[in-house]
Amino acid sequence: LEHIPKGNNCLDAAKACNLDDTCKKYRSAYITPCTTSMSNEVCNRRKCHKALRQFFDKVPAKHSYGMLFCSCRDIACTERRRQTIVPVCSYEEREKPNCLNLQDSCKTNYICRSRLADFFTNCQPESRSASSCLKENYADCLLAYSGLIGTVMTPNYIDSSSLSVAPWCDCSNSGNDLEECLKFLNFFKDNTCLKNAIQAFGNGSDVTVW
Amino acid sequence: GRRGPRGRNRGCVLTAIHLNVTDLGLGYETKEELIFRYCSGSCDAAETMYDKILKNLSKSRRLASDKAGQACCRPIAYDDDLSFLDDNLVYHILRKHSAKRCGCI
Repeated sequence: LEHIPKGNNCLDAAKACNLDDTCKKYRSAYITPCTTSMSNEVCNRRKCHKALRQFFDKVPAKHSYGMLFCSCRDIACTERRRQTIVPVCSYEEREKPNCLNLQDSCKTNYICRSRLADFFTNCQPESRSASSCLKENYADCLLAYSGLIGTVMTPNYIDSSSLSVAPWCDCSNSGNDLEECLKFLNFFKDNTCLKNAIQAFGNGSDVTVW
Repeated sequence: GRRGPRGRNRGCVLTAIHLNVTDLGLGYETKEELIFRYCSGSCDAAETMYDKILKNLSKSRRLASDKAGQACCRPIAYDDDLSFLDDNLVYHILRKHSAKRCGCI
């Protein structure tokens, strides 16, 4: 029988954050708008997104990535990791838009447009490279991915059993653009460069980059 | 710890302890932790004219009881908010829960 670890890395990261003045401050600064319900609404999504962007902009990667990219071996851990961005406010919506429509609305916003471009550049998979990344740089890929949190393209983990991620969209009603839509969506869901980068951070290999 | 703002009453200081959120006794179920800072120490040296008069009247036994309403060591500023996720995956925020600066007030 395999040894079952007592605590979990995501909990340890949350503890470390609250013992650090900067991380504690910016964590509360996004938890507040992301959990405060408005009349008829779960929260003010715009304020929640802004505070999430500030959290990832201002808090050192050691702490912010610690909570977002922690490695897990049980559901208590993966559920905590999934809750990091307060998905009920920042991620989920009543309906899932088509991913290409979501991409269009992202492109109308300066921050979203540039961060999405960074993501496609820095997390480009390449099966022939040792890292599985064309750019061979995990840190740049994680920076680009975390940069999307707080935009309309906010991604999150989609299930509790893998590192598969996606923005809140699907490819139904794509018509002739189905192939293009699936290509876009699978760049998130099935991206070996991103998965390897998250794994490398989670198990502390590739420490030289941080 | 840090001393009071006026330099007198150096006994009134900030002390930090590392606790589990559950140690606070507020009814939350979580494994998260925090640094709790509190104010303690003596405020015997009079700070204001009011305190001085009170002390003198007390000494000359003109007051009903000794040490009536004397200054005490309390937070004059609070630490930033603290947030945590509980065991049922619900977030909570604590405000004005921990001291940042102390004074005899």
